Amino acid sequence: MQEILDTFFNPAVAVQVLPMLLSGLWMTVKLAALIIPLGLLGGLALALAHTQTRSRKVRIAINLYVDFFRSFPQLVLVIFVSFATPFIGIELSPVVALAISFMLSTSAYYCEILRAGITAIPAGQTEAARSTGMSATQTLRHVVLPQAFRNVLPDLLGNSIEIFKGTSLASVLGMSELLYSAQSAQSVLFNPTPLVLAAAIYLALLWPAVRFISALESSRRAQGG
Amino acid sequence: MSQAADSGLIHTFFNADIVRQTSPMVMEAVGQTIAIGVLVIVAGILLGTALATWRFHTQSRVLRALIVGYVDVLRAMPPLVILILVYFALPYVNISIGSVLATFLCLSVILSAFIEECVWSGIMTLPKGQMEAARSTGMSWWQSMRHVILPQALRLSLPQITNRCIAAIKNTALGSVIGFAEILGSAQAASSDYANPTPLTLCAILYIGLIYPLVLASRYLEHRAGIR
Amino acid sequence: MQKKIILEAVDIRKDYGDLRVLNGVDIRVREGELVSIIGPSGSGKSSLLRCCNLLERPTAGQIIFDGEDITRDTVNINRVRQNMGMVFQQFNLYPHLNVLANVSLALRCVGKLGKAEANAVAMEALTQVDMAHKRDAFPGQLSGGQQQRVGIARAVALNPKIILFDEPTSALDPELVSSVLAVMKSLRERGMTMLVVTHEMGFARDLSDRVIFMDGGVVAANDTPDVIFSSQGNERMRSFLSRFLNER
Repeated sequence: MQEILDTFFNPAVAVQVLPMLLSGLWMTVKLAALIIPLGLLGGLALALAHTQTRSRKVRIAINLYVDFFRSFPQLVLVIFVSFATPFIGIELSPVVALAISFMLSTSAYYCEILRAGITAIPAGQTEAARSTGMSATQTLRHVVLPQAFRNVLPDLLGNSIEIFKGTSLASVLGMSELLYSAQSAQSVLFNPTPLVLAAAIYLALLWPAVRFISALESSRRAQGG
Repeated sequence: MSQAADSGLIHTFFNADIVRQTSPMVMEAVGQTIAIGVLVIVAGILLGTALATWRFHTQSRVLRALIVGYVDVLRAMPPLVILILVYFALPYVNISIGSVLATFLCLSVILSAFIEECVWSGIMTLPKGQMEAARSTGMSWWQSMRHVILPQALRLSLPQITNRCIAAIKNTALGSVIGFAEILGSAQAASSDYANPTPLTLCAILYIGLIYPLVLASRYLEHRAGIR
Repeated sequence: MQKKIILEAVDIRKDYGDLRVLNGVDIRVREGELVSIIGPSGSGKSSLLRCCNLLERPTAGQIIFDGEDITRDTVNINRVRQNMGMVFQQFNLYPHLNVLANVSLALRCVGKLGKAEANAVAMEALTQVDMAHKRDAFPGQLSGGQQQRVGIARAVALNPKIILFDEPTSALDPELVSSVLAVMKSLRERGMTMLVVTHEMGFARDLSDRVIFMDGGVVAANDTPDVIFSSQGNERMRSFLSRFLNER
């Protein structure tokens, strides 16, 4: 038992690597703060284009885009963007490569969620707003989007958590975020405590969010909504 | 774009010679990926459904909390972290599992957590009267569960379950990080051997071929659920 | 001397694909009038109303509002609609906003009023429909009748030249109908011009200046309530009205 504790939960190692992990965590948070808003904005733009256009071609193009990028593992996109672009003479920094590859796929997911939310708002809401003289844009901004966002909040949060977790893929590009820091510490100190600690940090950060979504969903089930 | 630049791009990203030379290796990886994907889905759905059923059946608050905890923990941790933890930490206590087995175990367990959530939500959405009606005809709890509740719960959450299964198949790519030569891993290896991105392009095309039909299927299921 | 015409529909046609729901409809509403539109379901009553503020584009014909042809492409329909309120069968209150915000939203967006000013105007409208005490409630917390009164306040607050009512009481439980009709009656007493699609024959008979009977996408009769309800019209109208009269 003591041996297991010393191996996986070694306090001395933990204290030693904590500063390193925390700076890794800071990098993780910064990445998430870059990637999540980018994907959300991209997804919102796509969802608005899809729901507001009269052109069938635009809708089909957006559907193709969404399905195409939903078909790739995130890691494949990350690797492809960062390792294939140098062959045509484009050198992207890891952050930019990561941001581009995440933007491509997360905007697809956010688009699906927001589109579902927007189309679920009854036509009467738009008619009521338009009947008072509000423009199409004002109606979207004040009547449709607030309701749509509220209705799909659990899905939006769930997707954002997935993206936050996805920042761990940055370790593959050698960016010293939380997982990468833990892995380097583990190989230097030859002890897995940093990995366990990193997992615990992810857990401490995201468990409340996961709980919150579950509670939100079950309270909505109870309301029959 | 000029003809020369165009053929240059194709020569770089889809070099026919390199496709020919690397495709046997990559195609073998496709087989591995599909096999692991199918196994993960079967194990994940079975385990997840069993957990949801158990959570519904048990009267013990402790047990329920344990199941919820299991689900929450696995939903809150990045799959790559779990994979690396299992693969790199276990050898310290002399448990050594191969990268294929580690990938299978981790992804199955993660999928089971998401499936539990989907099935549980399906069970909760059903009216209470369903179980009562089944029991009133003399069926046992398990019979009611098997023939009345679970079929409906699974059906209700089919779109979400499909999406989680697609995610699980995509997560097999994470195996490459711990040296599992699935599609991405073998493509990366081939790409660096030949100093050419063609295997990566091939890898992308293979994923599209593999997963795009599943994405379309899930879109169809969501559409059907929407109009019902 | 007759009062001036506020709203005029000229030879309105409306097709949905192959289905013609309005086949050359002409109506006129003068200032201060209450005009009811009655008729069997599917006769095109609601389509006509929704063509008046261009929620539906007429396939052919013109809508003249306050002397201006609003079916021309160059007309800013949002500006027109500020002067033409609408009340819906399903209320269509915004569920994410409280009662006060439901009424004041358009004042702030369209009327460009400041928050305090918009709220003051909204409160005045809510007082008219006797809903001021519910200013902080959300639509989901209100009965159908209360929601519809807020819906009326939303239209009234813009101080429109006319309000269109699309079966305002059809979605209500019978015991809630009277409170909404009372509000409409008080609006009429204040001189509001109203065009009302309704199944409430008592309301149409007792409060209308004119009643329009629609059938099969055309105006089958257009006269005072006395004439219409004395059953002097054609066979279809008599059979439609007899159902109502027999209920009495």
